[in-house]
Amino acid sequence: MNPVIPAPVPIPLPAPAWLVQLLLVFTSILHFLPMNLLVGGTVILTVSSYLGRRDPRHRDLARRAARVMPPVVAFTITFGVAPLLFLQLLYGQLFYTSSVLMAWSWLAVVPLLMLGYYGIYWFNLQQEELGPRAFWVMLLASLFFLHIMKIFTQNMSLLERPQEFYPRFLAGTVGTYLGLSDLVTFARLTHFFVASVAVAGLGLALLARAWLEEAPELAAWARRYGTRWFMAGTGVQFLVGVWFLFSLPPEIRNPFLGADRLATAILAVAVLLAVLAMVAAPKSLAASALAIAGTISLMAVVRHLVRIARLQPYFDPRTLPVEGQWTVFAIFAVLLVAGLATVAWMLYQFFRPAVSRASSG
Amino acid sequence: MLGGGVIIGIIAILHVFVSHFAVGGGLFLPLTERKAYRENNHELLEYVKTHSTFFVLLVLVFGAVSGVGIWWSIGLVNPEATATLIHIFVWGWAIEWVFFLVEIAAAFIYYYGWDRLDRKTHLLVGWIYFAAAWLSLFVINGILAFMLTPGRWIESPGFWSAFFNPSMLPSCVVRTAVSVALAGVYGLVTAATIRDVALRIDVVRYAAKWVLLGTLVIPPAGLWYVSTLPTLAREISMGAAPAVTIFAGLSIFFSVLVVTFTYFGPYQHPRYFNLTFAFVIAVLALSTTGVTEWVREAVRKPYIIYDYMYANTLRVADVERVRQQGVLKSARWVRNHEIDPGKLVQGGQEVFRVQCASCHTVDGYNSIRFAVKGWSLEMIEYQLLHLNELKGFMPPFVGTDAERRALARWLQSLNPQPMMLEPTHPGVKAESQATDAPEATKP
Repeated sequence: MNPVIPAPVPIPLPAPAWLVQLLLVFTSILHFLPMNLLVGGTVILTVSSYLGRRDPRHRDLARRAARVMPPVVAFTITFGVAPLLFLQLLYGQLFYTSSVLMAWSWLAVVPLLMLGYYGIYWFNLQQEELGPRAFWVMLLASLFFLHIMKIFTQNMSLLERPQEFYPRFLAGTVGTYLGLSDLVTFARLTHFFVASVAVAGLGLALLARAWLEEAPELAAWARRYGTRWFMAGTGVQFLVGVWFLFSLPPEIRNPFLGADRLATAILAVAVLLAVLAMVAAPKSLAASALAIAGTISLMAVVRHLVRIARLQPYFDPRTLPVEGQWTVFAIFAVLLVAGLATVAWMLYQFFRPAVSRASSG
Repeated sequence: MLGGGVIIGIIAILHVFVSHFAVGGGLFLPLTERKAYRENNHELLEYVKTHSTFFVLLVLVFGAVSGVGIWWSIGLVNPEATATLIHIFVWGWAIEWVFFLVEIAAAFIYYYGWDRLDRKTHLLVGWIYFAAAWLSLFVINGILAFMLTPGRWIESPGFWSAFFNPSMLPSCVVRTAVSVALAGVYGLVTAATIRDVALRIDVVRYAAKWVLLGTLVIPPAGLWYVSTLPTLAREISMGAAPAVTIFAGLSIFFSVLVVTFTYFGPYQHPRYFNLTFAFVIAVLALSTTGVTEWVREAVRKPYIIYDYMYANTLRVADVERVRQQGVLKSARWVRNHEIDPGKLVQGGQEVFRVQCASCHTVDGYNSIRFAVKGWSLEMIEYQLLHLNELKGFMPPFVGTDAERRALARWLQSLNPQPMMLEPTHPGVKAESQATDAPEATKP
């Protein structure tokens, strides 16, 4: 039986599909970076605030590292808006259907996000008053963010399986899909979770450099501690990644294992960069971070290729009619550059050394 | 029970109440900061710092996440309309996203930068925040206004004809004025907590001026806005639909209360102003926002995108085709694509789900069981035939005769009334009770 897929809206795409796909992948990368720091960061902070009940180093680490979390949440959300916009433009009819099938779960993202976000502020602003209870606040926040990650993984996986839409509708389970029995989704979620812990570990090691002046001992220890999370996470990822790859059906997996040279090369370079990141970590964190950013970027491309392959029998956005809105697109492009320049200027003002600030102020 | 519209409504009203503050508060902060520098008023500066914490906690978290929430809920409740808007406005939204990005970055740097940036740079970051926040309002306002007044877009589709639509400009002025007024309302809340009496009196009066100034602009801008609306939309708010008219009246009533309370309270007697009073004004302002947004949504009926798509996501251009082909045949998420004469009530229920359930629930909000209570089968059929003429805010029923009859049977089965039906339709009750009664009770 042909799957039931709603028709795309009868309005032409305002730009060619390749351009929207490019923007979708690019903005997804922007989202994945802070998202990994957020999910993995709350896990590490939970562990540290638990150990911090006895170990002052962990307590100090949690207090300092938690300060950067509010902007991390904000940029996870902000950078998440754009890929979701482009996803809806290209794959709207699939995305809305999968979202409706899991409507209650999908809608739960909003309160979970709000509670997790306020939890992080609470942890930050009232850590002293909270005392040992700070652990519970961070634990809950991290569980909320993990749950959001699970919901996203489920929705993004379900939209790639339109053959399941109509049977689920007939089964009368609209709105209540939980996707607990789907092994591929579970492998995918584990893959993302392990990645987030590793990336956040590296992020912590990098962040610790900012504490060198105020607390050199803590900074040195936190660097080693963060690096350990990174090494362990990335090490485990080699196993989880293989599991995830082999959980995919052969027709999706094979292109990455030699059948398609480009796909194979992209995956191979991504893995190689992860190995390099592990090798570089003890000596140069910056090099390691650069390599892992490369891995994340290439993995975002792999993810998109998997989506295209899984949807290939049912839908190809390149077949949609196009009527370019080029003037508005140009305005967007110019404003994006101007906007990023403005943000860069503000960050420069914020981070430039106090001495030069004092002399100009 | 709730119905999708209510979920969208709850999230949207709270979001509007906070997001307009995100804009107005963005003006309030640098202006008040500048005032503190000019007057060399250290206490006032401390107040601005406290206010900025409150601002960040409310705007960056609740404002941003509830905005995401609107997107979530419209995609779930009205995917077709959401997809349409995204196809027309994707670059508009992308531009708005750039402003949002700058806004968030500026808010953090402003908040964390009190002790790190020099005065001039800190103020400049405040202004950057406000510019980005207002521009993001400007873009979203164009998209929102489009849904009610698509104007030239219907004949000549394109981004610009859609964005610069008839009500876009007046709506933008109204929203800017609302932002200024709400900045004052929130300012009153934080001002009421200032311990120093002299400073409190000063700031309370200052914040009250913001409320009064903002609300001063709303009536003329509001009239301008109303003058750009479609005739039917104006009629709905001015008597054609009693519930909407009552809410429109309430909107004016609450606004007047906000002005009166602010003028005679914090403006005239700032000394006696306290937190409870501030909350009363805030609740009144929230009520104004709530009923006004509700009216703005309600007057768009029977459409979701005026003259283009009905509230049940049927495109005006598709009406004839669906009428001939049948609504079940045109729909994808149905069990049967044709009415089975032996199972009229089940078929009718499916027609209801496809064509009516965007606005009606069976027993909850806008309950259909309640709406057809006491109606005979003839009455229901007559109503369905002339739906859009009898109720101007409803789309016409679109479907084949068989589908309409099936829907009528299902509607009738919701309220079994043996005494009324038996004389004219002896078979109806027996059939509906025998085959379908349990179905009909399902929401």
